Amino acid sequence: MLLIECDGKALFEAGGIPVPEGIVVTGRERPALPGGGPWLVKAQVPAGGRGKAGGVVFCATEEAVDQALERLLGRPLLGHRVHACLVEQAARGTEAYLSLMVDPAAGAARLSFSDQGGVDVEAAARNDGALLCEVCVADPEAVGVGIERLATRLGPQSAAALRMVAPALAELFFARELLLAEINPLFLDVGRAVAGDAKVVVDANAISRQSEIRRFVEARPEVYADVWRKMNEGFDFIDLDPDGDIGLVTTGAGLSMMLIDELTARGGRPLNFCDLRTGQMRGRPDRLIRVLDWLAAKPGLKVLFVNIFAGITDLSEFARLLTEALARFPRPDIPVVARLIGPGEAAARAHLAAVRPDLATYADLDQALQHVIAVSRQ
Amino acid sequence: MISDLFAIDRSTPVIIQGITGRMGRRHAALMRAYGTRIVGGTSARAGSIDEMPVPVFATCGEAVAATGARASVVMVPPEDVLDAASEAIAAGIGVVVTIAEGVPVHDALKLKAIADENDAVWIGPSTPGMARPGKAKLGFLPDISLHPGDWAMLTKSGTLSYEVGYRLAARGLGQSIWIGVGGEVVKGVRFADLVAPLAADPATRGILLVGEVGGTEEEEFADALIRQSFPKPVLALLAGRESKQGVAMGHAGALTFGAAGTLQSKRKHLEAAGAEVFFSLEALAAHAVELSSSSDQDTSEEWVHG
Repeated sequence: MLLIECDGKALFEAGGIPVPEGIVVTGRERPALPGGGPWLVKAQVPAGGRGKAGGVVFCATEEAVDQALERLLGRPLLGHRVHACLVEQAARGTEAYLSLMVDPAAGAARLSFSDQGGVDVEAAARNDGALLCEVCVADPEAVGVGIERLATRLGPQSAAALRMVAPALAELFFARELLLAEINPLFLDVGRAVAGDAKVVVDANAISRQSEIRRFVEARPEVYADVWRKMNEGFDFIDLDPDGDIGLVTTGAGLSMMLIDELTARGGRPLNFCDLRTGQMRGRPDRLIRVLDWLAAKPGLKVLFVNIFAGITDLSEFARLLTEALARFPRPDIPVVARLIGPGEAAARAHLAAVRPDLATYADLDQALQHVIAVSRQ
Repeated sequence: MISDLFAIDRSTPVIIQGITGRMGRRHAALMRAYGTRIVGGTSARAGSIDEMPVPVFATCGEAVAATGARASVVMVPPEDVLDAASEAIAAGIGVVVTIAEGVPVHDALKLKAIADENDAVWIGPSTPGMARPGKAKLGFLPDISLHPGDWAMLTKSGTLSYEVGYRLAARGLGQSIWIGVGGEVVKGVRFADLVAPLAADPATRGILLVGEVGGTEEEEFADALIRQSFPKPVLALLAGRESKQGVAMGHAGALTFGAAGTLQSKRKHLEAAGAEVFFSLEALAAHAVELSSSSDQDTSEEWVHG
């Protein structure tokens, strides 16, 4: 989960990494601006490439700040709604790059530094070799050694900045179980280094033992909706296309992703991603009822597609839970296509045929997909 | 050693860690029914439960001493996986499969280092496991998707791979080995680790790779194919063409940032390595059938019935 910049910077600040003075603006009420200008107004969305997409605005005057806020707040940017903007004093200095990340292939921690920070640092550095890396065993001691090794490869100003900031970054990385902690740009000035941006990816798997990270999610459920849902519901449901018309009631992350691809390739518009984790339903329809309620609220909904490939789950029980949940579905007019395969599928189809003869049920996925597309076009 | 995976068969002694839990009991029974030689299990409640069909021990050390177990399937909650798998490796177990989804990534980093130091093979986390169809399975790959044959299936997602296996089995194609590497960021066995042993495996005609958006595992795999001059056909199905940047659809590993991990990047690398890339189940299945029927069936027969 990618933290929005202001949360990443709160983490940095608490960890002893200097950040520019700033305020977070979420609505009409704007607190006093930090210090004298100029300022940067930065849309707080969890996505990279904000600068190029117009989400970062340089403002010389207070009026310009207000105009930028007016323009950005509430607008969509890079697939996310802008719920908040960070306004901070524009930092000065030469721009460098610093990151510490999990390196999955090496099973290690990768420390990277470049004295040429900026928007395209990764691409630029790959080309001219200006990005210096140390791959370290993922423990604090080894990373400490890596920082020193990297410092010896740098000029004096960069080495001093690295020694000033990287140990604090490493401490955060291990204490908060981060996947990525990136500062780009890192502003270097005489005797000082300031984090101009914060790109922090946290581990959603560790959230139950990371109370500080959990508080970020709880404070902004609208920004971290997917993780908030997973924390509170125990399964995945992601809104994909606000104008979609196919509601997915599916299990399995990879298969659900594939179904979205298959439907889209056939000209369909899935509303959502869904991984029910049917194995955890324990004989209760609650999870299905939740998903159906969320889908019922979508104005574009035209068809529900239930797809369960059960490895272990008993489908006769699932079918019973499905009819219970459908009995409470607020949009009984919506057609339902169900494709069920696995243990107990014959009994499941018999149950559906008896209780909900209007349901279209299939064993074959391609036929089911075809039916869903046909109904969504009506 | 990675080659230990290819030696797993009906005679391999396997223990289940967490065997007295709901999952452990159920899957121990299903694995036994498939043919896996489950010789025991471990549980903090060892001794207090007497209706178990196999002996239950308090520690892996005791289990290994008493049963000679060489593989373990770890069925404990995600936050306990690091301790349980480390204990198995310390007890000398060579193949450890951890099923749980949601293992913290920094725990996975520690476990990977421990497995590497001890030359143990770790499959997981967040995996349905692995199988040698017709012989044994470690985990819960569904029987209806398993079919002895000569394609090696390497997969990230559980459910998507079930769908692929099932669709192929319906057309008479099966697997020489099936390894679910799992959908997490940091894991034990990765796609690329399997290229060399599969090049050498006489029972494998080619690789069916089921990958997805995010991470760089498919790209690493493609590089390994090139390094190995991999001599057999490779077919890859990639899911997640419609995913959004910064959003992990269910699998933590499916998170993308910038250009790395996009489907375009994976496709480019895989095709450069000579693999054929598909974005639909049917296209992949149809091509696998075509390749299988156009070559010598005799060499595959013994595996079809194996």
